[in-house]
Amino acid sequence: MEPLVKLSGIIKQFPNVVALKEVDFSLREGEVHSLVGENGAGKSTLMNVLYGVIQPDRGDIFIRGEKQHFHSARDAMNLGIGMVHQEFMLAPTMTVLENIILGFEPTKRSVLDYDLAYEQITELSREYGLAVRPESKIMDNSVGEAQRVEILKALYRGAEVLILDEPTAVLTPQETDELFRVIASLKQHGKTVIFISHKLQEVMEISDRITVMRDGKVQGTLDVADATKEKLAVLMVGREVFLNIKAASTKAGPVVLDVRGISARGRRKLSELTDVSFQVRAGEILGIAGVDGNGQSELVEALTGLGRVDQGEILISGTPITNLSPGQIRKKRVAHIPEDRNTSGLCKEMTIGENLIAITLDQPPLSKHGVIRSREVNELAAKLVKEYDIRPANHRIRTANLSGGNKQKVIVAREVSEDADLLIAAHPTRGVDIGSIEFIRSILLAQREQGKAILLVSADLEEIMSLSDRIAVMYEGKIMGIVPAAEANERVLGLMMAGATYDEATQGKGDEVIEA
Amino acid sequence: MFSLSEIFTLTLIRATVRMSTPILLAALGLIVTELANITNIGVEGIMLVSAFIAVAASYWSGSWVVGILAAVVAGVLIAALMALIHLKFKADVFVAGIAINLFSLAFTRFLLKNWFGVAGSFYSPRISPIPRINLSFLQIHPVIDTLFNNYNLMDYLAIVLVFVFNFLIYKTVWGLRLRFTGVHPAAVETGGISVTTKKLQALLISGVLGGLAGAHLSLGYTTQFIENMTNGRGFIGVAAMYFGGVAPITTWLASLFFGFTEGVGARLQTMGFPSQFILMMPYVATVFAITFSMIRQQKKLTQKQPF
Amino acid sequence: MKPSILDRLSKLQSPINVLAAVLLGLVIGTALMAIQGHNIIEAYTALFNGAFNGRFNFGGTLERFVPLLLSGLAFAVASQASVFNVGVEGQLYFGAIVAAYFGYVIVGLPSVLHVALVLLLAGLAGAIWAFIPGFLRATWRVNEVCTTIMLNYVAIFFTSYIVNHVFKNPNIGVPQTPTIQDSARLARIMMPSRANTGIFIALGMVVFFIWLMDYTTIGYKIKAVGFNAHFATYVGFRSRWIMIGTMALSGLIGGITGAMQVIGIHGYFLDNFSVGYGFDGIMVALLARNNLKAIPFVAFFLAVLKSGAIGMERFTGIPRELIGIMEAVIILFAAAEALIVIRKRVSLGKGGAEVV
Repeated sequence: MEPLVKLSGIIKQFPNVVALKEVDFSLREGEVHSLVGENGAGKSTLMNVLYGVIQPDRGDIFIRGEKQHFHSARDAMNLGIGMVHQEFMLAPTMTVLENIILGFEPTKRSVLDYDLAYEQITELSREYGLAVRPESKIMDNSVGEAQRVEILKALYRGAEVLILDEPTAVLTPQETDELFRVIASLKQHGKTVIFISHKLQEVMEISDRITVMRDGKVQGTLDVADATKEKLAVLMVGREVFLNIKAASTKAGPVVLDVRGISARGRRKLSELTDVSFQVRAGEILGIAGVDGNGQSELVEALTGLGRVDQGEILISGTPITNLSPGQIRKKRVAHIPEDRNTSGLCKEMTIGENLIAITLDQPPLSKHGVIRSREVNELAAKLVKEYDIRPANHRIRTANLSGGNKQKVIVAREVSEDADLLIAAHPTRGVDIGSIEFIRSILLAQREQGKAILLVSADLEEIMSLSDRIAVMYEGKIMGIVPAAEANERVLGLMMAGATYDEATQGKGDEVIEA
Repeated sequence: MFSLSEIFTLTLIRATVRMSTPILLAALGLIVTELANITNIGVEGIMLVSAFIAVAASYWSGSWVVGILAAVVAGVLIAALMALIHLKFKADVFVAGIAINLFSLAFTRFLLKNWFGVAGSFYSPRISPIPRINLSFLQIHPVIDTLFNNYNLMDYLAIVLVFVFNFLIYKTVWGLRLRFTGVHPAAVETGGISVTTKKLQALLISGVLGGLAGAHLSLGYTTQFIENMTNGRGFIGVAAMYFGGVAPITTWLASLFFGFTEGVGARLQTMGFPSQFILMMPYVATVFAITFSMIRQQKKLTQKQPF
Repeated sequence: MKPSILDRLSKLQSPINVLAAVLLGLVIGTALMAIQGHNIIEAYTALFNGAFNGRFNFGGTLERFVPLLLSGLAFAVASQASVFNVGVEGQLYFGAIVAAYFGYVIVGLPSVLHVALVLLLAGLAGAIWAFIPGFLRATWRVNEVCTTIMLNYVAIFFTSYIVNHVFKNPNIGVPQTPTIQDSARLARIMMPSRANTGIFIALGMVVFFIWLMDYTTIGYKIKAVGFNAHFATYVGFRSRWIMIGTMALSGLIGGITGAMQVIGIHGYFLDNFSVGYGFDGIMVALLARNNLKAIPFVAFFLAVLKSGAIGMERFTGIPRELIGIMEAVIILFAAAEALIVIRKRVSLGKGGAEVV
């Protein structure tokens, strides 16, 4: 049978990353096809290519065997391809009905025919079991409802193929069940569904076929009958390890960071922190593993003063720092490598040197009575540029012109050279080249040797495992358990990242050997 | 001393309506652009140039109709210039608006000198004003007659336009897409609609309305052109637009409020009472109105703010 | 990888755009002169003479230079923290009325002290007035362009009330305040023009603010907030108060701008006296692309145009409004960020736009 959609040899490069490396992908009519992989594996990019939002550098798109060129989403839409993005394309101040009909409005004598639209929408919603309130505003809808609106919108535009980009990432378990019923109903009506996820349990539950991506490449496509969670996990995570230089854990010193039962509001419901507690001691690295969006960002913001804590207490070496300002927390000897180097970590309009001195500027010798001493500043900047191998080796260059790896080195240099007691590193190597990854990891280890307490947040399991002394897994804003590094493996952590406790993850499946 | 009854008379209501007209026309244009996410403070300049062109065209042709048409064309041209530097050359919308206003002031000064050889103001009996409309069916009762009859054509037109735009914005495909353009351009683009085109349309429409507002200032409200005669009415239009919550009918009420303060102010002034505090009311009210609407909006924001 | 010519040019994008705008303005202005049958060489000669020839003319240029310089500085300082202070006009009204009051009521102070005190109080008045929109912006993101425009009118009406009803010179029909004490006046430096020592104060202020922005921790923090408030907050600066404080600083300069007109030029506060000095400042800052070091040159250029236009009108009959058009065209196109776009080559290789 000819595939409904065939993508062949798709290549897409972005200024700082190669997102897709010769990807082939095919879709059969009427199937539910899951696309799994870690963050940054290229799933969303590939689907945006199919949806016409991103134009590939090379490669072809065939729909029912015919070669197509998409210049915009409208072209894809006209061929029956619809997509529900992770970030909903819905205007919060407008009604459900208005959002659905935008661009495809029914009219009666050139006046908007709201009645007809209402009928069409209720008809569709009945047919597929998608309960919505057409006259309510989007902002008065729950996330689950908004998602149903998005699906209805795609159907209203005549979608035959529906791409759902991590639809369950924002849903509660009940809402997820509801969504699965909808997907079943879509399939029953002959629609084809592409389901993007990294929750393996779900994928196994609803898919006909599963394609796994890693590093911008397809690792394989399996029928659900042939797939096991373990097989998928291996394909997803891969086996090669960059760094095996892990030094034996030195004696852990006194507690530096003490987090006691904190709760905080989240960007989404699932990233709301609930009763998070842990400690980090001097001379140890505590890794925080987890799928993105499970509260890691909120945790880091709470610890650094960038976000508010609603309940609980945070202590640094015994002094409470709960809800202090970022500046005050830094004064308690806390350094922070932020998850987003481009918005928070660096000021791209400023030079490397100016970025390097941002947190030590107020102290001598860099300034005296508020006046900057440029000689000292330049000396320090030049020293750090050399020490941290920042290229180009000229601190007068704006950071906007640096590569991802060198940008990250500037941040690491600034935060590490401050000589703080606690270093919070959020995704310190995300999106940087291999050379910089190794360099940054070795610096983190060296910091540990010097007796610093380090909190390492990363979605990269391999990084977490090769650096941490203990590993805490976060899921839906909670700590599922803290595992000593010696007892951790990818499968156990992977299961915990999908919501299992340590006991559940280790029981029953402990003796299965994972083969690559 | 004066008594309140001297201020609050039927003619005050008339003055309120008349003074609100240019504000209302400008504000209607501003609603259209604001919905497309363009705070078009250049409307002040659009009005000024149109006011001048209206006088010039009326003076030469002897016809107020030609005057209005020319003013509308001028308004659209200035709006197109705004579109050029904001949409094409990517100037910040406020910088573009400020530049348009500075340009318009200089441009009208230049034309005033160049075409009529005068500086400051131009008046001639040959300027044909926009006529007042006498609706005989309103003459049934003197109060009704005073309140509703014998307004300038533009005063009536502005009110009609309130309902026209209310219809266009809320009942047509064009309006729906316009409203989406401001709040979620990405959704508009994925719906296959060009955001830039919508923005251009909005700017040109604000040019038409600004043109009418300008024509009303120089051919209706008065029959002359005075340098910088808009005197911030475009900005008050911005205020009315925000105060009215970016919707035609409530903005009409806001314009009436601003017209009323102007009317009361003018009256108090003739009685020797310090009118300044009354005159500043619209502006103070606007600052409060914008602030409250932002505080309301902030509560709904979930995105991380730097402070 | 060696930077190509295009890469180098892309760094000059901004000045090239300004230059293009100026050229466009000059071309259009000159073409207008030519179309109307004026002799272009004569016109420019007259313009030059009007701005530079003789103490009166050159003094007139300097006299116009001061408010352009200061209001341009005020706007540019606020924009360092990426705040648009369109309210310089209002701030200068408050500064002016306060200067007129304290210039009149304080008697017997030595001139230097009196001038300093008056400028300080006027600056304070401007700062307080600018604090309001700054606070609203930093706290609730209330658009400062809208609020400052509104507050300009409030300032004009408020000072108008003061000068009409509270503090009016009773001997004169027009609404103006009594003339200030001689001790509060700035000395004339180029009689018979009204150019005065205020020019040195103004230049001194520009130097001070260049120093503040480039060589102090305060300046660093202001720039950090202006470029990237997320970054500033993350490294531990109090972004909100830095933004409010910068706005107040800008208002301080605005207040002094107004005071300078009172103690340097008029000697009293006149109702509605500003001929848009605040808005001229926006033009200056825009052309200087908010670069403090460029502000004196731009302000001088515009002062020459303004003062030369009068001489040109007198000697050639070309209306001074034509120069106004020239300015307007310049400002219109100077506003454009992308009049001329020089695209930087984006390398697609791994590691991206690496400058090695």
